[in-house]
Amino acid sequence: MSEQSTTEQALTGIDAKQPSLWPRLAPNVRIGFLAALAALALWMLAMGIDSQMGLFWAYGLAFGFVLQRSRFCFASAFRDIFLLQHGRTMKGLLAGLAVATLGFGLVMSKQVPNPTLGFLPPEANVLPIGLHLVVGGLIFGIGMVVAGGCVSGSVYRMGEGYVASWVSFGGILVGLLLTTYTWNWWWDASIADGWRIWLPTYFGHGGAIALTLLALLGVYLLVVWWESRSGMVIPETPFVGSGDDNFRARIGDNLRQFFVHGWPAVTGGVALGALNVLIFYTAHPWGFTGELSRWMLGLSNVLGVGPGELLGAASLPGCTLDVSESGFLNHMLFLVWGMVMGSFVAALFAGEFKIRRPRQHRRYTQAAGGGLLMGAGAALAMGCTIGAFFSAIPSLALNGWVFAVFLAIGAWIGTQIIQRID
Amino acid sequence: MSLKQLDVRGEICPYPMMKTVQALKRLSANELGLEVITDHAPALETIPTQAVRLGYTSVIEETGSPEWTITLTRK
Repeated sequence: MSEQSTTEQALTGIDAKQPSLWPRLAPNVRIGFLAALAALALWMLAMGIDSQMGLFWAYGLAFGFVLQRSRFCFASAFRDIFLLQHGRTMKGLLAGLAVATLGFGLVMSKQVPNPTLGFLPPEANVLPIGLHLVVGGLIFGIGMVVAGGCVSGSVYRMGEGYVASWVSFGGILVGLLLTTYTWNWWWDASIADGWRIWLPTYFGHGGAIALTLLALLGVYLLVVWWESRSGMVIPETPFVGSGDDNFRARIGDNLRQFFVHGWPAVTGGVALGALNVLIFYTAHPWGFTGELSRWMLGLSNVLGVGPGELLGAASLPGCTLDVSESGFLNHMLFLVWGMVMGSFVAALFAGEFKIRRPRQHRRYTQAAGGGLLMGAGAALAMGCTIGAFFSAIPSLALNGWVFAVFLAIGAWIGTQIIQRID
Repeated sequence: MSLKQLDVRGEICPYPMMKTVQALKRLSANELGLEVITDHAPALETIPTQAVRLGYTSVIEETGSPEWTITLTRK
């Protein structure tokens, strides 16, 4: 099926006298509409239970949709720098960080008008720095490259039909749980006394934002320089319109550009950054490994094998292990599954949904093993590439940068490993 | 002179791209190019750049839902 038009394609051979639109749409588009209807129904259901659950279902749909359309994976952002000397996703990531930094900075300046007093914004991802962050970053970086996707990458690919991503997700859940049994040791050794450094305390709001943007610019220049050392970079395949000028063709082109053609990485990054600002303003930054840990802690407690009290976990924000022992339903549950659903709908409309099974059995091992490492890393770093990075740097928190450095090193190590697995 | 085929359908990230680069490097002088069959959308963003750096032009054709055939020919 050529990209030209699923609708036009499906029209071939159809009786011209047939009046209705539905049978003329390609199967994936029809299922896409049904899935979108289901998403809407679930939204109404969620709203009926609690308006925050409904809101976070909607956020999830949006995040998942954007991730799928822009093929945005943080693992590939780091990995492709080392493996392919290609910075497409990294540039998109930097754009998203810049947008989020401005937005978060603005919101936080209202929350904590005088930052020099030492108070921290209550929901920003300002977390302790220490050995746990170094180790967490390293093993997460290795895990995400070995698994072929980070946590959000796996979540959106679950919606696209990648069986390996479901396996990865399982690995992440197990890795999170296993690490909770070691949490108290890490709390005493590293986390309890770790410095929580919020840049506005030292530089004021404007200074902290400016410093962060400057650092992002520096990274951007580094990426461009690194790319140029290895030769040309082909820009992303541009969208080719139908060539017709009439209104219907133009609308068709717009629809195809949005729903079928892949989005540029920068578009995706900016959209994710903007969504992050919105969700932060509403409640707290984007990030959900804390929620995943809540599922696993809840399950382990029900089975009677829980890790017991997790020292200090309740006192830290972001994606720290969630010991709240709340009920099954939670606004974050809706966020996570909303992301899978959003990606599912996006994939269907784009004709990109397919149950994909790796041919080699070792890929399942990679996915599971990488997932385990990611879960462990996210437990220690109190967040994954979202919570400890994409939401931490805009929180003007130094821990975001520290995590990023070791994430990059871990990704480099992971790149060496996957080249030897083949 | 023919195009070698490389079927990387089902592969997880980043093997479609990695295997394509490996295959390109292994092409002999009388092999005109490589035809890559993939169902992995991110590969569409990365393979063209790797191909041009190794001296190949790329043409992407959508041949399924989702499936693409990327034809890489020596410049």
